[in-house]
Amino acid sequence: MKPELFLQLDRVIHEKGRLAIMSMLAASPELSFTELRNVLSMTDGNVTTHIRALQQEGYVAVAKSYQNRRPLTTCSLTPAGRKAFAEYVNLLEQIIQESRNK
Amino acid sequence: MDPKWAADNLQTIRTLMERSAVYRRALAPVMIFIGVIGLAGSVAGWRGGFESPRAFVFYWFAIAAGVLIGSFLLIRLQALRDNEPFWSPPTRRMAQAITPPLIAGFVSGLVVVLANRLAPDPANWPVGQMSAAQQTHLLPIVWGILYGCALYSAGFFMPRGMKVFGFAIVLISLLALAPGPQNPATASIPAGHALMGFIFGICHLAYGAYLYLTEKGKNAA
Repeated sequence: MKPELFLQLDRVIHEKGRLAIMSMLAASPELSFTELRNVLSMTDGNVTTHIRALQQEGYVAVAKSYQNRRPLTTCSLTPAGRKAFAEYVNLLEQIIQESRNK
Repeated sequence: MDPKWAADNLQTIRTLMERSAVYRRALAPVMIFIGVIGLAGSVAGWRGGFESPRAFVFYWFAIAAGVLIGSFLLIRLQALRDNEPFWSPPTRRMAQAITPPLIAGFVSGLVVVLANRLAPDPANWPVGQMSAAQQTHLLPIVWGILYGCALYSAGFFMPRGMKVFGFAIVLISLLALAPGPQNPATASIPAGHALMGFIFGICHLAYGAYLYLTEKGKNAA
């Protein structure tokens, strides 16, 4: 097993909560803050913290709008986020492949 | 590091991606609503004298329109309550899945109406060769099969129970062929209304009750 494969894993995505958010956003053009919070059973604070970290890394874009006079926050993956997520998944697959070849 | 961890992580990613694409609105109120309207419509149709194929088709079209509007409002209310967009990607996928069979059902009803209206000589139209009783007895079976197919297709983007329910509706509709609606001696117009009541009323009420007892917590689409 090459330890360098593990070292190449993106530390920002690697965290459990952020990986969950990235996974959900990868399967959908956009998701509301409420949807993420409900499906992942996270607190508002947790989701906000993770989204902020992903936003700072340029992986997630956040849009604020109004729907029926109520604020609506939606999140989506940026092209950089999509690329980083694909690379992360590819690395995981490589790690599994390596372990099978051993 | 244990490579099993990588496989577990990939599995988690896959599960979450699937969950993200799944339609998750609470369906119990919608199913119960469809069931109540379907059952009431069946009883009213039986007693109301909608006995020509044309009256039968338009009567059930009107009920279907009411059910569609009511279901739309129920789902919209949920979206408003949860402060979420109504036309979400899962909702769009689900709508795309159910639309073709529903259109086919609508067209099959129109074909029956037109066949009875445009062909004074029934020999020119296959559907016109059947009596009014046969047509109104067979139509719910066709609608049931198509509706079941619609639910089965939608089930790919919904919780697993929907696929089973769609398949059950198809099977029940096929079983309804057994008494022989194609036989003029056994076909009857009240049986058409009763079939509609069973497929769109009782079956939906039963599934709605099951969902009501099993759906937990908040749902979002």
